[in-house]
Amino acid sequence: MNKSHFGLRDVILLALIGIIFGVIYFAGDFVYNAVTLLLTPLGLGAAGNDFTMGLWCMAGPLAGFMLKRPGSAFLGEFLGAAGEMFLGGQWGAANLISGAVQGVATELGFTLVGYRFYNWVTILSTTLTTTIVTFAWDWFRNGYSHFALPILLACFAIRLISMFLFCGVLVKLITRLLERAHVIPNAQV
Amino acid sequence: MNPSLQLLLVLWISFEVSFTSRLTANLVFLILAIIVLLFHHLRFRQWLWLICGPFLPALALFVTIVAYSPGHDLHFGLVLVSRIYLYVMAGATVTFTTTPLKLAQSLEQTAHLPAKFAYGTLSAVNLLPKIKQEVTQIKAAALMRGVTLHLWSPTLYFKAILVAINWSDQLAQAIESHGFVEGHPRTAAHPITVHWYDWVLLTSGIIILQVLLIAFP
Repeated sequence: MNKSHFGLRDVILLALIGIIFGVIYFAGDFVYNAVTLLLTPLGLGAAGNDFTMGLWCMAGPLAGFMLKRPGSAFLGEFLGAAGEMFLGGQWGAANLISGAVQGVATELGFTLVGYRFYNWVTILSTTLTTTIVTFAWDWFRNGYSHFALPILLACFAIRLISMFLFCGVLVKLITRLLERAHVIPNAQV
Repeated sequence: MNPSLQLLLVLWISFEVSFTSRLTANLVFLILAIIVLLFHHLRFRQWLWLICGPFLPALALFVTIVAYSPGHDLHFGLVLVSRIYLYVMAGATVTFTTTPLKLAQSLEQTAHLPAKFAYGTLSAVNLLPKIKQEVTQIKAAALMRGVTLHLWSPTLYFKAILVAINWSDQLAQAIESHGFVEGHPRTAAHPITVHWYDWVLLTSGIIILQVLLIAFP
């Protein structure tokens, strides 16, 4: 089979995973709002976004680990975002842009290791690229360029930790479960 | 308006506005988006959602920029707030005025997106009620055994993925058994047309945006 070919089944699977994750972390919205409310008086309100960032980006790395093909991480994140557009999430079509940015960010992490390793090295590289690229995006979009340096550093650190815990550790744990259950397609490659 | 062109216009505006900080452009397009939405008679709850949803993130950014950042830049704070509301309202003009089915058909016919992406994603979107039910079921099943599944429990995601694999198999089979062949030329039962005024709206929207961005603060 062509390695970079995505069939109808893969497309549906990736979109489904994205939407299911969206449904699950709809609860994350509550955490996000609570954290934002709590931190706003401290001047760290924007960090609420960084706190939950790891959650939003989970579908991408997971898709990458499941299908192990170039492009799967991007598609997983992007199709999920496209599905969530109609979920009634608060961001609507803007979801597509953030989805594309997050997708590219995650994909980059897999590209850096040449799509050959799927271990902790990959986890580290996707964590780093996702954090840096989404942070650069927020630099423009959410006006991070105007923040004071300490706040900026705090946001970056929080985002890095959130990414590592959710997109790294949690994704690795899920993949381990999937591997033990022998449900990951071409797990031996 | 043709859904694909409408989506393109909204994405174009959202993207360009992200990299510029002009209050006038944000406000003009925000008002335009609200007018479009007014014509579509949204329900009260939808309005409430549109207005309250982005309130907290907008407030947080505003406070951080105006009160805690070196410039104490009120103008930039307002730009950010209006930008966030613009994202939401403009996005809503797409999601609240077309159905997922129409958008998928239009993306396939107008934008020539491969049919498997259009309909693959559409079929997943249509499963949404079942997905919600399934997530509740997984949690309930765990509760019966005295296990609480949190946002950070791998088991929750693991079980959800198993379900997704099952469903994607079944959906793909169902679609193919209805005669769908990947990459094969298709005829359309509901042709989506692009009118001349679709193009006029798209180009005039983009031109107005440039003028506003260049000429006004």
